Amino acid sequence: MNDLHGIIFAYRSDSHLSELTRHRNTCSLPFGGRYRLIDFMLSGFVNAGIRDVGVIVHESYQSLLDHLASGKDWDLSRKHGGLRILPPFSYAERRGSGGYRGSMEALSGVFSYLQNIRQDYVILAWGDMAVNFPVEEMFQQHLDSGADITMVCTSTDADTTCPENMVTLDSSGRIADLSIHPSMTTGHLKSAEVYLLSKQLLLDMVDYCSAHNLYGFVSGVLQPRIHSLKIMPYLHKGYTARFRSVSEYFQRSMQLLSLDVRTDLFNQARPIRTKDMSTPSTYYGSESKAVNSLISDGCFIDGEVENCILSRGVVVEAGARVADSILMQGTIVRRNVSMSYVVADKNVQINSSRMLMGHSSYPLAIAKNSIV
Amino acid sequence: MKKEAVAMLLAGGQGSRLYALTSHVAKPAVPFGGKFRIIDFPLSNCVNSGINTVGVLTQYQPLELNSYIGSGQPWDLDRSDGGVSILPPYVKEGDAGTWYKGTANAIFQNIGFVDLYDPDYVVILSGDHIYKMDYTEMISLHKKTQAACTISVLEVTMEEAARFGIMNVDGQDRIYEFEEKPPVPKSNLASMGIYVFTWKKLRQYLIEDEADPTSTNDFGKNIIPAMLKNDETLMAYRFHGYWKDVGTINSLWDANMDMLAPHMTIDVYDPNWPIYARTPTKPPHFTGPNAVLSHSLVTGGCQVYGKVTNSVLFHSVCVEEGAEVDYSILMPGTVVKAGAKISYSIVAESAVIGQEAVVGSPPSDAEDWGIAVIAGGVAVGKQATVMPNAMVRDDVKEGEQV
Repeated sequence: MNDLHGIIFAYRSDSHLSELTRHRNTCSLPFGGRYRLIDFMLSGFVNAGIRDVGVIVHESYQSLLDHLASGKDWDLSRKHGGLRILPPFSYAERRGSGGYRGSMEALSGVFSYLQNIRQDYVILAWGDMAVNFPVEEMFQQHLDSGADITMVCTSTDADTTCPENMVTLDSSGRIADLSIHPSMTTGHLKSAEVYLLSKQLLLDMVDYCSAHNLYGFVSGVLQPRIHSLKIMPYLHKGYTARFRSVSEYFQRSMQLLSLDVRTDLFNQARPIRTKDMSTPSTYYGSESKAVNSLISDGCFIDGEVENCILSRGVVVEAGARVADSILMQGTIVRRNVSMSYVVADKNVQINSSRMLMGHSSYPLAIAKNSIV
Repeated sequence: MKKEAVAMLLAGGQGSRLYALTSHVAKPAVPFGGKFRIIDFPLSNCVNSGINTVGVLTQYQPLELNSYIGSGQPWDLDRSDGGVSILPPYVKEGDAGTWYKGTANAIFQNIGFVDLYDPDYVVILSGDHIYKMDYTEMISLHKKTQAACTISVLEVTMEEAARFGIMNVDGQDRIYEFEEKPPVPKSNLASMGIYVFTWKKLRQYLIEDEADPTSTNDFGKNIIPAMLKNDETLMAYRFHGYWKDVGTINSLWDANMDMLAPHMTIDVYDPNWPIYARTPTKPPHFTGPNAVLSHSLVTGGCQVYGKVTNSVLFHSVCVEEGAEVDYSILMPGTVVKAGAKISYSIVAESAVIGQEAVVGSPPSDAEDWGIAVIAGGVAVGKQATVMPNAMVRDDVKEGEQV
């Protein structure tokens, strides 16, 4: 797999995730207890043997830098190649401040990096998606099919996110149409916005878009050239989660309590790697209760936990009762608190005897470092 | 580059009193406390004390230990200057060279390694103790008293003293006599097997000791007595805190149980003195709809559907529905099938305990009661029984009793 280069787009800060992304990029949103969203795509690349990965960032990437550091937890801290964080270095002089308007603009912002890629093929993906698919299988399919572009498609059953880019195939299985945000869901395939293509084609496209003031990949490249380029789908049937709201984040997270979803997302043959903190084991006190929950290392549980996802270092004191909630790193739930349907961000502290109640369709999100 | 202090970690011992647990791994690589291996404690102590050059002397079954240490990255010991080095015995010119004959001989054979860093002091550590200790305090006592050797000691009860190497000291804590397991102890200061030496002195003593054909080349038996005889300054450094030798099945089980009182014995959660470990990335552990967990440690990748009380679960352990685990230590990857019962046992890596099997039992008056031990990879059949105090190295057939 030495002929494939990975590019991860990590500049999106989703405003619909309100409290949860106020201080961070969506890619560094905690997910599944101990992970950040970017871990999934990055680990997928590394598990496929990809040696060089560029991560394109623009704004609020502090927490992402903390998390990725040199890339050593993904074995990407290398003398030659490895992980490269790509802020907009050839971009500022062109358009001043403000975020990228589209992925083509982002790629042209790091054009000189793209030119120096030493592999012949490039895979482009977003870092804010929880998914675990065999990238090497997709690469092989791309080579075998002779496609110009291969894109990951998911079925609408497995990927329940609101329709984004819907895909229509022709009789030969080639992609015949792509529609952005259709008001009606047509067909059953949608794009996961993961693309594999040759470095040469990518450079040509970025150059063309830059010269014609086009900045979206789908609108600028794929739609206009859908008939001239052979674009093939790579079908991924497993769990795929993207979020456009707090309730969607909550619901997709809770699916991890199902063994089938965990077996798929945490496939032992393709482990998801993350920043190693050498956190000791979780301690359960004598009066504790924890059922149907996913619990990370370093927690102290003396109270009751049911249907929850707990990140590292969460404390649930005696007498507290936490149900149907997601507690991120370092959350402290004091004595006799009762809470349900809450998403608490990092280092939230809930003082004793408080009662917090959200609803499955509208979970209560509490911002980082808040004290209730 | 010159270093003020270099640590030499003696990790070559077989640890024969851990029996089946060390048949394929050196004692320092034995898993401990849910997330760690024994060697993580001295290695983390070194790094937290600012000692970034560590030689690990290996001899017995070193493969797993070598791969565990690797580049030293989990302990921040992957350095371009210093870092961790694995030091096995080696062949010398003219087919010379031997195994490490004793603790002192192991250092003697690596004089060349220590000399690379031209250190003022050498810290000698062993790989079978669980404790947190700031070696810089010990080194500063050593410097202040201009000692040739400083030995870390623990105050034990007079009854216990007969089981240890005991240091007899004067009013300034200068050691005037060393007694190995004295029947009538004169002091209660037990040696912890942690030494700081002035390298120039130690180097000389090691060479002289090697030249003596009658010597057993051991620090406690030869080097320390020789230094005392020559009237060198030997100081006792009093250590206060948790320290446990985990060289036997009972002490290993005890020390793991101590981890269940995290703020009373040894606190591995203290961010100011982290204990680092190399662990595979595992997803968070999952507790099933009928899981019961109490007074226990559980680690990433575990799946608990049954009942776990007063126990330590390492990563990727599976306890199926209806299974019960009490006062036991389950090392990485152990599977406890439905309805099995385990109590007062140590189950090593990837062992499988079959459905409705019974392993170990709570303490009884029986003379031969003890902790049951299942070696790594062993399969205990359905409805089989493993008696307390058993040491199981081979598969146990369905319904069989051992």
